Amino acid sequence: MMHMRTNRWPVAFALLVLLSACGGGTEQETLNVDEGQPNGVEQARLESTKKIFYSIPSPMETAALLKKAGATYNKNILNDVNNVDKYTSASKQALNLGVYGADLSYASVFNHTQESMFYTSCAKRLADRLGVSSAFNDSTLEAMEKSQNDRDALLDIISETYWEVDRYLKVNDRESTSALMIVGGWVEGLYIATQVAGAKSTPELRQRIAEQKISLGDLISLLATYDDSDPALQSAREDLNSLQALYADVKIGGGQPTSSTQADGIIVVGNDGETAALTDAQLNAIRERVAAIRNSYIN
Amino acid sequence: MRIERSLLSASVLVAFLVLATGSVQAQCRSFAKNKCVPQLAPYKFNESFNGAQLAPGEEAEVNLTFYSGQEYRVMVCVHQILGDVNWKLVDSNNKIVFESLADKPKTHFDLKATSTSQMKVVVWVPPTKGQSDMVHTGCVAIMVGFKE
Repeated sequence: MMHMRTNRWPVAFALLVLLSACGGGTEQETLNVDEGQPNGVEQARLESTKKIFYSIPSPMETAALLKKAGATYNKNILNDVNNVDKYTSASKQALNLGVYGADLSYASVFNHTQESMFYTSCAKRLADRLGVSSAFNDSTLEAMEKSQNDRDALLDIISETYWEVDRYLKVNDRESTSALMIVGGWVEGLYIATQVAGAKSTPELRQRIAEQKISLGDLISLLATYDDSDPALQSAREDLNSLQALYADVKIGGGQPTSSTQADGIIVVGNDGETAALTDAQLNAIRERVAAIRNSYIN
Repeated sequence: MRIERSLLSASVLVAFLVLATGSVQAQCRSFAKNKCVPQLAPYKFNESFNGAQLAPGEEAEVNLTFYSGQEYRVMVCVHQILGDVNWKLVDSNNKIVFESLADKPKTHFDLKATSTSQMKVVVWVPPTKGQSDMVHTGCVAIMVGFKE
């Protein structure tokens, strides 16, 4: 077997630069997060949801859908990396871990590697403060640094990291933190979509924004299974409910479902309803509301 | 003294159960990551973990949204201790679009969505045959991959 000696200093230096690129550089004390026993409500939730799942699109899937719909990349709409040190409460850290995760996915899917690295270091800082550093550590940054010219490899590392952080939180009975991270990521995804549609509104983009009515419903159902007494989750629920009210009249197709099987065995599904669409008024109302919610998370 | 000892025992039991629950979930996730995610290739895993420990006779379901113009792979991955399970994809009218029964099992199918569709995957573990007091539980994961 051949062993290669590699000089790790360039990588270490790059990591140092990245870490200093994210935020003002004032190190904050890690917050202690309550990792206590599940209470009665949580135990009931764990049991009742054991066999029912809510599938929320990940930031990566949302970014890929936006790209296919003709969205363009605009770094100015993303959360400022200098904001990272402002998040001192555990709930803000969780929400913004989701926000930066969505920004990271958006930058990576659109192949803006350098910005991907900055958002990765922001997400890592928040993960450290939330005590999730075992799922998101220096070796993750190192692997990303090495793969920055290989977009597919980079996307795989980001996917794996998202999975590991979510896994760590759920396995360690911190599902509320995981839920806030999912909310932050979903809100940022919708924020990006509506901002991009504001600059260049194609029917495909409007369709994708309209279809978020479905995932919003799933997200609200997911949050309904969590502890009612958590104020951060309660506040997130209210935010999502206010968006759902704006989506109430949005038509997302429907019609009778259709299905057939191709000769190669691939199943083709659809329906005979109309394509989902948004009026200008609906798009504006959703854009303004999601921007207000998102601003309350990042500031 | 006896009360203190009882409280201590109860605390140890609760702590054990919490750790055991976390450990079982961790094992289920590791199983899904190592055994199931690679089988989604060349589709990209959508990062959504829908998995749980199921016992014979139990059922799980997940609502999925397939977006128009996208291609997907839907997979049900089962720990070998459970043997083969039944699973099906049903549309919003509860019509079966795809079905895999335990006596003729399939692990996955590929799908194209011509318009955005909401569907449901239902998995149920057949009851064990014969008389046995042993109840085996195993990880069942419903995974989705998409083409970029």
